[in-house]
Amino acid sequence: MIEQQIVNGVMLGSVYALVAVAFTLAIGVLNFLNFSIPGLFMLAGMVTWYLLKAGIAWPIAALLAIATGGLMSLVVERFTYRLMRHSAHFVPLVTSMAFLILLENLVLIVWGSDLQRVPVPFATLSIQVGPTVIAVPQLVGLACAVAAVACLDAVLKRTRIGRGLRTIAEDPETATLLGVAVGRVVPVVFLIGGLFTALAGFVFAINYQQASPFMGEEVAFKGISAMVLGGMGNIWGAILGGLLIGVIETFSIHWFGARTVDICVYGLLLAILFVRPTGLLGGVALRQARI
Amino acid sequence: MSGYLESLLVLLSINAILAYGAFLPMATGQLNLGVAAFAAIGAYSGAYLSNTYGAHPVLAAFVATAVAGAFGWIVAFPILRTRGIYLALATFALNQVVQGTILNLDVVGGASGYPVPAHIGFPVIAAFAVVVVALVFLLFHTRFGISVTAVSDDERVADLMGLSVRGLQTAAFAGGAALAGLAGALYAHHFNYIEVQNYGVLFSIYIVLYVLLGGTQTVYGPLLGATVFTLLPELLRGSAAWRYVIFALLVIAIMSFRPQGVVTGDLVRRLLGWRRSAQGSA
Amino acid sequence: MTARITAAPVLQVQGLEKSFGGLRVIESLSFQVERGERLALIGPNGAGKTTAFNLITGVYPVDAGCVLLEGEDITRLPSRLRIRRGLARTFQNIRLMPHLTVLENVMIAQYAHSPGLISMLQPVGFGRRNRWREEARGVLAEAGLERYAEQPAGALPYGIQKRIELVRALLAHPRVLLLDEPAAGLNAAETDDLQRALDATSARGVTLVVVEHDMQFISDLCDRVVVLNFGCKIADCGIGEIHANRQVREAYLGNDAEEPALDAA
Repeated sequence: MIEQQIVNGVMLGSVYALVAVAFTLAIGVLNFLNFSIPGLFMLAGMVTWYLLKAGIAWPIAALLAIATGGLMSLVVERFTYRLMRHSAHFVPLVTSMAFLILLENLVLIVWGSDLQRVPVPFATLSIQVGPTVIAVPQLVGLACAVAAVACLDAVLKRTRIGRGLRTIAEDPETATLLGVAVGRVVPVVFLIGGLFTALAGFVFAINYQQASPFMGEEVAFKGISAMVLGGMGNIWGAILGGLLIGVIETFSIHWFGARTVDICVYGLLLAILFVRPTGLLGGVALRQARI
Repeated sequence: MSGYLESLLVLLSINAILAYGAFLPMATGQLNLGVAAFAAIGAYSGAYLSNTYGAHPVLAAFVATAVAGAFGWIVAFPILRTRGIYLALATFALNQVVQGTILNLDVVGGASGYPVPAHIGFPVIAAFAVVVVALVFLLFHTRFGISVTAVSDDERVADLMGLSVRGLQTAAFAGGAALAGLAGALYAHHFNYIEVQNYGVLFSIYIVLYVLLGGTQTVYGPLLGATVFTLLPELLRGSAAWRYVIFALLVIAIMSFRPQGVVTGDLVRRLLGWRRSAQGSA
Repeated sequence: MTARITAAPVLQVQGLEKSFGGLRVIESLSFQVERGERLALIGPNGAGKTTAFNLITGVYPVDAGCVLLEGEDITRLPSRLRIRRGLARTFQNIRLMPHLTVLENVMIAQYAHSPGLISMLQPVGFGRRNRWREEARGVLAEAGLERYAEQPAGALPYGIQKRIELVRALLAHPRVLLLDEPAAGLNAAETDDLQRALDATSARGVTLVVVEHDMQFISDLCDRVVVLNFGCKIADCGIGEIHANRQVREAYLGNDAEEPALDAA
């Protein structure tokens, strides 16, 4: 039943798309591979579980989970990019990795390593389109993802902050000379990334009714593959890449079994990096060291 | 020697070998997030040899080292065409693919883990570690050492000065893979059980982080990093998770204030300088 | 050993073309350098001088044309092999390895005249009586720089770094040395030192090709001049004739070509 697989894949892909947007924004604007993003995804998912288990209403839980992601991302910014902009290029990347470890282990300490069941406080409605079944919460999740990216696109193109971000992406050194308040704009990149990732974590927890301290590694890492597939630095590429990876994952499970997912998704990433590193929508060529 | 001290020293030995496995490519400027994959290749191929063919575990370890090194050499060709973040991403993807592949190999246990009855005891593991560390020290005091730093500092000029940048990077990548494989095989034969789930990207990240913590400017740094990482839980009698929390905070602190790591070229030069003047130089 | 001027030019560049994107950076560039000669390559900023060096040393592949070193076509030769054939260079922005000591920086060049796996595994780090270190120390001492040997190269004053770069290039025993703005940023005393060092190098038979803006420096050092503007050669003559050349004057908009400039760039 191919249509159902595609639908399932697209729904899953909307989660990857949101994570991919967070990654791609950091790469495109700051040339920074932010490894803390999977940690934020996991944090939001676990917070969602904890709040729903405690009986909090799901809209409040959503807001709190997303806010947690946003706040944590600002903490990460303070201790990665801001402190280390002038150090060797790998330092922010490495520090973001340390944050991933920090977040995962803190959650392990507080809540243990078990996979948690997320109690969903509403009956799962679904609509039937021909032979395929579409779960309404998943559809809402997809709609949110697309809407969020559309908003982001508008912000980047039409607001001052957006212009500031695009200027920094072009040339961080002259951005300051051009009057961009870099110190205020850079945290916005992290904040947007954190909000997107946290939204993804919330959507995942609600739609798949599970959360664990390892969901960053297991789920959000695939956002990296989605980002590269769509084109690094291109937010619509992130959506496209995310949806495609979701579909690829669903089909690999269907055809080859659940154990082959990593080989397919990351094998594809490897292939893209060798053959066409700019991805489908041709992202930015990353600034490398001078020749 | 008490069992506790012994297993601590075994872990230190294995972590030290892993540290140099990550250090070799990092010394040429490549962030290898696939170290864990090569350790897994070494662990599983060594275990397979001793389980299926009854090979002596030490022989299996040697073969596993060669297998991991060969794999690293082959993979280096496409991977080293990428640079910087792309290289880090490619090694990240490689790690996932290798882990995913082993997960599907039921012949070595797949997802259920793989018991390894043949045992290598502490003295042999310690001997391996000492030899590896000595060899790496020697290697970095040859022209290879300065060439590798030259490539890491300025690839373009190193090339114009006649160095084979690709050759050095490939050698470093493959050599690092081989060392990681050795560490994996030794681990498998000492703790007698391996699980593919432990060889994920996060494991690579731990190794890379403690090497960076120690410092990649000299050969001494990785050893310090491995020592700190191994001894940290002993200083804090908490759970494993607490140890990693403290480790992560330590990394963040060091990267904030001293990103070159604890042991820098300057530090070593100064320490050696004191010794030389204390002994009276010629 | 005095410089031998023989019939075969030691370096020949024929019909070089190079474009980046749509921009023609080097157009139909041809010139040659005789053995032992000292050629200046001058032109306004952006004329393509450093690009010409980059094409000759293989940093960029040529779009058309060829480069001949002692009669041998090296146009397709990988850049790392050119130094082994005797072609060395220094850089406009100093490119010493910041994490190596001065001694180690200089020793990098030794690989060029003894390449191979055995050479790569030669110990250089220990022993006071190591012949590679001794050789490197020797050339540093000749240049009066021995006291900087154990210091990290990145922390030294600009003038010292420039001299070290020259020593490094010379340790590769080149036959042709390309110097990209060697006098830039040097004061009068340092420029004199450089002049003497290059005279001595030339006297040993090394052919020099120098990109420079300092006209006085070039007049004192070089025999011949090739002038570039917008990637094309507009003059190729002896050093004495250059002031009279109208095209050159126009290219410089009448400043440097009128009077020799006494200050460096």
